[in-house]
Amino acid sequence: MAGVSRVRRQLPTSPWLFAAPGLLITGAFVLYPFVSTVVNSFTDRRTLIPGHFVGLANFRELLHDDMFWTGLRNSTLYIVGVVPALVILPLLLALLVQKNIPGITFFRSAFYTPVVASVVVVGLIWVWLLDERGLVNSLLRTVGIGRVGFLSDQWLLLLSAMAVTVWKGLGYYMIIYLAALANVPRELHEAAAVDGAGPVRRFLTVTVPAVRSTMVLVAALSSVAAFKVFSEVYLMAGPSGGPAGEDTTLVMLVQRTGTGLTGRVGYASALSVVVFVVTVALMLLVLRADRREEP
Amino acid sequence: MPRRALAAAAVALVLPLSACGSGGDDSGPTDASGKIEGDITFQTWNLRANFKPYFEGLVADFEKKYPGTRVKWIDQPAEGYPDKISADAAGGTLPDVVNVSPDLVAPLAKAGMALDLDKAAGKYKSEYLSGAWASHQVPGMSGTYAFPWYLNTGPLFYNKSLFTRAGLDPSSPPKTYGDLFADALRMAKKSDGKVATLANVPTIEDFGRYGVQLMNKEGTGFAFNDAKGIELLTEYKQLYDAKALDPQALTATPESSGRKFLTEAVAMNPGSALDLGNFKKQAPDLYKNIGITDQITSTGHVNMYVMGVMVNSRTAHTPAAVAFAHFVTDAHNQMSFAKKVAIFPSTAGSLDDPYFTKEDGTDETRVRIAAAKSLKNAVNYTPVLFSDQMKTALRNEVAKALQGKQSPKAALDNAVKACDQLLKQQG
Repeated sequence: MAGVSRVRRQLPTSPWLFAAPGLLITGAFVLYPFVSTVVNSFTDRRTLIPGHFVGLANFRELLHDDMFWTGLRNSTLYIVGVVPALVILPLLLALLVQKNIPGITFFRSAFYTPVVASVVVVGLIWVWLLDERGLVNSLLRTVGIGRVGFLSDQWLLLLSAMAVTVWKGLGYYMIIYLAALANVPRELHEAAAVDGAGPVRRFLTVTVPAVRSTMVLVAALSSVAAFKVFSEVYLMAGPSGGPAGEDTTLVMLVQRTGTGLTGRVGYASALSVVVFVVTVALMLLVLRADRREEP
Repeated sequence: MPRRALAAAAVALVLPLSACGSGGDDSGPTDASGKIEGDITFQTWNLRANFKPYFEGLVADFEKKYPGTRVKWIDQPAEGYPDKISADAAGGTLPDVVNVSPDLVAPLAKAGMALDLDKAAGKYKSEYLSGAWASHQVPGMSGTYAFPWYLNTGPLFYNKSLFTRAGLDPSSPPKTYGDLFADALRMAKKSDGKVATLANVPTIEDFGRYGVQLMNKEGTGFAFNDAKGIELLTEYKQLYDAKALDPQALTATPESSGRKFLTEAVAMNPGSALDLGNFKKQAPDLYKNIGITDQITSTGHVNMYVMGVMVNSRTAHTPAAVAFAHFVTDAHNQMSFAKKVAIFPSTAGSLDDPYFTKEDGTDETRVRIAAAKSLKNAVNYTPVLFSDQMKTALRNEVAKALQGKQSPKAALDNAVKACDQLLKQQG
């Protein structure tokens, strides 16, 4: 013990030396861009022109910007549409593939495949499928339904993008649930079965309470991801954000406003700060709700 | 330790602020008269894949002509090219000689990063078509900020088979906007809305070609909400309602509308001589039925696209950079490039070369000759100050009008207001 204390006294900086590479990388690529974004949000900086301090002008402007409210609405709707599906469907999927029966590995892999596929490829495939002349519309025509404007109607476009997000995310959250389900004691199910509980009742009274924390985690992760959605909507709605930009999400607006040679970096930074504040608030809200429900 | 952490946080906060200030207007050197020597970089826009030997030969010829120079050629992909330039410009790593379009030159010139060629290389001005030389001038600034490079324009392609099925004469394609709108409505009616004639909403070029005044004379504000502009948008609204304009036009890109034409979902699409090869390779059935007609214009001037070669005003080797930019765009090299790909030289007299005037009976030559003829008085209708954000603002307002959410007049008034606001913010 005395030897260890001596080493500690002699090398007080050694922990910092070990941590230095990580701290430097975090500082340069996480902390600095973050601080820079916050600082820029108080300036009228543009891509090629440094700009001046303008106080809260950017934040005041976005309150009067129709596109900001459209983006906020769509990003919020995305949470409402996507999060419940991503909390419930992967759990049901995990229950289906949980059992060790012959060939189950194939299904687990199949459900996980969209997760590893590039979001760009996934987006393009769905654009082809949902096109006015795509496979889905051809099938609908054969059953007597006319052409459906999945990619031309404001709301159908947003719903289509949500469907793709859910489709792509199912496998990822399924894996998380599989890990949680593996920790549910089998005895609880057996005891419930002895007491006469059917599969639905066992699911509601045993499985759901046992994986509740995981459900909260999935809700938190998926709501943050949903609020920051970009790729799916960008690929399906086009760079202008759907008809008249009505499907623009907040992150798409950040990209559109802040990039290019004439990009308004200051204003885009202000939008980014709003996205950050909302996502932090979402996390706190979900975690707080979880704590409140703790027995 | 907490005090040190506080100091570090303060430094982190102050560092980005140090970038704030008035900067952006230092004009750099303008003298290109010194000795032509030194290492320079030359950036092109998605040309390596198809023209690597041409550019390697060009660089070798230049280095041979000017011993003591070395040119490093870099090529960037088409996708995100403006973003790449803006990252380089903001980071101070802009190459010495850069392939640009007029809308990219304008912000760079305003930020003092593009060399004024009227001052540094005015002696070369007479070598180029006057309209092409003027295409890289920026309203509100004096000077010319890039050598004109290649020009392009193109005909309107149409699908003869779809024309025949709609009861239209495939040998008599529309020549005026009136014909175009009438034929489009007829085709939509005949096909019960299944075949659209056009796949894109009107862009700023369409307004220009229709005869709408795009900006005020001083170049300080937009003016496309005049009676003519409202008339054009009203016509498009009728097309959209009748499904003569593809329903997905509101979210279409030039690439997606090109695909629609390839798959015979739309009957007409603008293009260039380059497209004929694509049709032949990708859609042989369509190629058999392809019809080619002139671009429709109410002004007598077709639209043209201009490429330029800009010299970075902060280059360490201004004479070499200017000499190389001129070398790339001189009559000899533009002509050699034009013979490799369907583009047109911007140098004076080049379009009179037999290559652009003598028929040989092929479609490619016919399109080339027609395009070269029309280029002599063509106009680049896209104002150089019209940024991507402005394009989006116009597109969104046009979409609202087509959907009936607002009148064409209100849509264009809003678009002009939004574009003026963005123009003001550009400084």
